[in-house]
Amino acid sequence: MVSYLIRRLLLALVTLAAITWIVYGLARAMPGTPLTVAIGQTDPSRKLNPADIERMKRAYGLDKPWYVAYFTWLGNLARGDLGRSISRKQPVAALIGERIGPTLALSGTALAVTWAVSVPLGLYAAARSGRPDERAVGFGLYVLYSFPTFVAALFLQIIFAVWLRGTSWELPLFGMRSDSLGADAGWATRAADIARHAILPVICQSYVSLAWYSRFIHSTMQEVVRQDYIRTAKAKGAGPWRVLVHHAFRNTLIPLVTLLGLSLPALLGGSVIIEQIFTWPGMGRLFFESIRERDYPTIMGLTLMFSLLTLAGQLLADLLYAWVDPRVSVE
Amino acid sequence: MTVASPTAEPSRPRRRAHGFWAEAWRRFRRRPLAMAGLCFIGLLVIVAIFAPAIAGTKPVICRYKGRLYAPCLGYFDRRLEPVVFAKDRFRGTYPANLAEKDPESWAIWPLVFQDPYRSVRKDEWPGRPANPYRDEGHPSRQNLFGTDQYGVDVFAKMVHGTTIALLVGFVSMGLAGTIGITVGAVAGYFGGWVDILASRLIEVVMCIPTLVLILALVAFVEKPTIWKTMAIIGLTGWTGIARLARAEFLRLRQSEFVMAARATGAGPGRIMLRHILPNALAPVLVPITFGIASAILIESSLSFLGFGPPPPSASWGSVLNDARSNLQMWWLVVFPGVAIFLTVLSYNLVGEGLQEATDPRLREARK
Repeated sequence: MVSYLIRRLLLALVTLAAITWIVYGLARAMPGTPLTVAIGQTDPSRKLNPADIERMKRAYGLDKPWYVAYFTWLGNLARGDLGRSISRKQPVAALIGERIGPTLALSGTALAVTWAVSVPLGLYAAARSGRPDERAVGFGLYVLYSFPTFVAALFLQIIFAVWLRGTSWELPLFGMRSDSLGADAGWATRAADIARHAILPVICQSYVSLAWYSRFIHSTMQEVVRQDYIRTAKAKGAGPWRVLVHHAFRNTLIPLVTLLGLSLPALLGGSVIIEQIFTWPGMGRLFFESIRERDYPTIMGLTLMFSLLTLAGQLLADLLYAWVDPRVSVE
Repeated sequence: MTVASPTAEPSRPRRRAHGFWAEAWRRFRRRPLAMAGLCFIGLLVIVAIFAPAIAGTKPVICRYKGRLYAPCLGYFDRRLEPVVFAKDRFRGTYPANLAEKDPESWAIWPLVFQDPYRSVRKDEWPGRPANPYRDEGHPSRQNLFGTDQYGVDVFAKMVHGTTIALLVGFVSMGLAGTIGITVGAVAGYFGGWVDILASRLIEVVMCIPTLVLILALVAFVEKPTIWKTMAIIGLTGWTGIARLARAEFLRLRQSEFVMAARATGAGPGRIMLRHILPNALAPVLVPITFGIASAILIESSLSFLGFGPPPPSASWGSVLNDARSNLQMWWLVVFPGVAIFLTVLSYNLVGEGLQEATDPRLREARK
């Protein structure tokens, strides 16, 4: 077990080094530098003169070739320093810390909604498998699964922010807080305000995975109910729901646990598209902006976090798998 | 190690594979939803091929100064538009110029007289008003799907965007399939350190979030064109295919028919291409079909985010991008949105039908 863990961790380290190396090279190869793109685009009159650019380039280490700068970055990282954002004049770690809360609020709620709806729906589909109502629900879920998120987001925006404007059903178009809310508002008012802003993004972020999980639970259940022990349970007189939940569903938990591990990066990484559409101040949007601004330290910090989470999620899934299923061993 | 090209003439293993595919097709046909998906894709192919004849402002066929021309081909490539019209200063306006410069001329017009790249002016088609623009372009008889803020007809844009939607799927997944199968085949067949290296590579590409990689690559390409977008989607989307191909090759390289082939002196390239690949193709084809769906999604979301190819290439996602700042123009969302959705749904249905038709485990369970 320990040797397995050590091997996995060493491999992960190699993978991480490769990923960051590639992304660093890609980021530096993008046309423009943070100095020319971020400052020149927003205000042409503030364009720096060449001498200033040279000076700032030296200050940010941009005068060195990227493979040298990469090792500088790696060295700083080893000392726990993610660097400072060039366009935002803030440490990258602080920037990530600032954005992780909103993302977690969004994706955590979305994950909770997904599980709360998909487990009962999957069980229902398994119980009524093959009947017309199950087929209709199944097809509906399939349609939902194929529905592009950004199209759904636009539809919802049109319905709730344009057509229902002025009614009590109106929902905010974007952002996380209302500007009209004064600083003296109580925490309950403020929480309700954020919740109202979060409704549409949460729907958009959860419906695809909801449909996918429901179908997944249904299909694994279909495999499980063919097993002998289900027949035994039925033969000894257990009721249909007890068989379904107590005997069958417990055994579908194994693949579900793997899925939980694999959803870890999405949980903290957020969704670039949804956060972009709803201008939600989270990690995905930070990433999008940092690419636009060629903000290398932020791009690297986020890439590191994304890939670390992906690797951790895979490892976690494998470990959990071995833990819930005694037949599987990590060796 | 050189891998021979897969253009070798069909022989015995191919014929046996044909029996398998005929059987799979028989099973596939029994699934109405999968067939509906296939029909929709077929419809899109027809629309894409005949796009200039469905919507356009250039005649499909016309007779001008005693000769026959097909100016509508200019929509596929500007060089295909006959030079004579440029020389006679038509400037892209055909109806009036044809009548004026050669009274004897006649023309067969596209079904819908609207241009995907520009607004139609007043009386360009005799007696018809100019296209409305800004938020007044509701769907009407003249503009079936409405017009965008510049007065360009949405129906024409979408008909001409069909080509992109189809090409994105086929080209990018063709590329991803080639890379994925090659990497997976080499890793699975040779094993050892080749496998370790290839598996690391797959893991590295997998761990970089797709959109991160794509956005970085798109920014990296200085002048984005639709072909570069397709190449980027293909270059990032091969990992799942490679993993499946690797597993299949790993399984099959120990089978008896491979041993027999090796005993007859077949080289590794020949064994991989002629003996293992036909048997490994079915499971690999399923993620490729699903991959087409996600490639279309990725392309349209890139165009939607403003990272797509610049105008005038009209992709469905770019129409949606126009809608973002004009939410009250619902027709800019509904029509392209539904088109993207139906296309993705069709590919998913076809992929699932393919899975059920070719997976022996599911087939036995059905009995």
